[in-house]
Amino acid sequence: MAAGPYNYSYIFKYIIIGDMGVGKSCLLHQFTEKKFMADCPHTIGVEFGTRIIEVASQKIKLQIWDTAGQERFRAVTRSYYRGAAGALMVYDITRRSTYNHLSSWLTDARNLTNPNTVIFLIGNKCDLDAQRDVTYEEAKQFAEENGLMFLECSAKTGENVEDAFLDTAKKIYQNIQDGSLDLNAAESGVQHKPATPRSPINTDQPQNKEGCAC
Amino acid sequence: MEAIVEEHIDPNDLKKFEALYNTQVIRGHVSEKTQFDYAWCLVRSRYTSDIHRGIALIEDLLRHAKDDLSQRDYLFYIAVGFVRIKEYEKALKYTDAICKIEHNNRQARQLERYIKARMKKDGLIGIAIVGGAALALGGIVGATIAALKKKSNQ
Repeated sequence: MAAGPYNYSYIFKYIIIGDMGVGKSCLLHQFTEKKFMADCPHTIGVEFGTRIIEVASQKIKLQIWDTAGQERFRAVTRSYYRGAAGALMVYDITRRSTYNHLSSWLTDARNLTNPNTVIFLIGNKCDLDAQRDVTYEEAKQFAEENGLMFLECSAKTGENVEDAFLDTAKKIYQNIQDGSLDLNAAESGVQHKPATPRSPINTDQPQNKEGCAC
Repeated sequence: MEAIVEEHIDPNDLKKFEALYNTQVIRGHVSEKTQFDYAWCLVRSRYTSDIHRGIALIEDLLRHAKDDLSQRDYLFYIAVGFVRIKEYEKALKYTDAICKIEHNNRQARQLERYIKARMKKDGLIGIAIVGGAALALGGIVGATIAALKKKSNQ
């Protein structure tokens, strides 16, 4: 885009968390590549993905850190929570244990992010309705009690995947607009990028070193 | 993959996991998890000596790894360490090893592509430096010849 140095106005940092095998990487892949990744091995440590989206005519770059669900990586992946504007917390609707562990994931998310971080609960694998182990109503109630946004998705069919990522961004954007999210806070998880070129005379620039007498 | 490989650890995190590791060393038993946490932090340090130490600690874990999943995880972070200290050939041996355990592991393939791109880029930069040096040398030789000519003309 010839309009400026960046083709987006904001960067939002997201993290994806949840038990091993709930489909975190598949959700990310479906969102960034619009494809289902069958036969996906367990993530080693962390993975990273980006996509530029549009909210209220503003281009926003999502920088998404997808963390491994394996216990081995738990301590170190906690460092990625810091400065996340959005946290997608995923469970598998066909495995009750992954739902039961949500309170522990939520505790981590609350303790390690800032109070404005938007936490979105995703019940993945909703295409496997016949094997359902957690009802929609139950999870919906859990989300309401804990002030979380919620959707059931399918990384396989793509159902609701866009919505989960986009609704999170909309909520973050809304928080910026109404002033509840301070862009200058060190760990807001949001960076504002000027979308228009800077004026040639820029007082923000550090002093030119060539003019220094040393 | 660049975001993963080039990322730097927060020094406070490194200190935290180092303290935990040292406490266990003093007690006489370091758990696999503590060693890995500390090593993963070291590998992402800004300092080459830390990265070397991180690699050595993960290599030690790898020798005692009980299953394919742990082996694969350890191999990956050893590879990342070697990329960070620009030992690309060694790094590629480790990504190859991951692919032997998990054929078509996406992260290993991505890392492999990244390493090859870096080798190419660094190779070109190497040539550019040699080229630049040749130009500079040419300049010096030229200037010397000119000076000698001037001298003989005097």
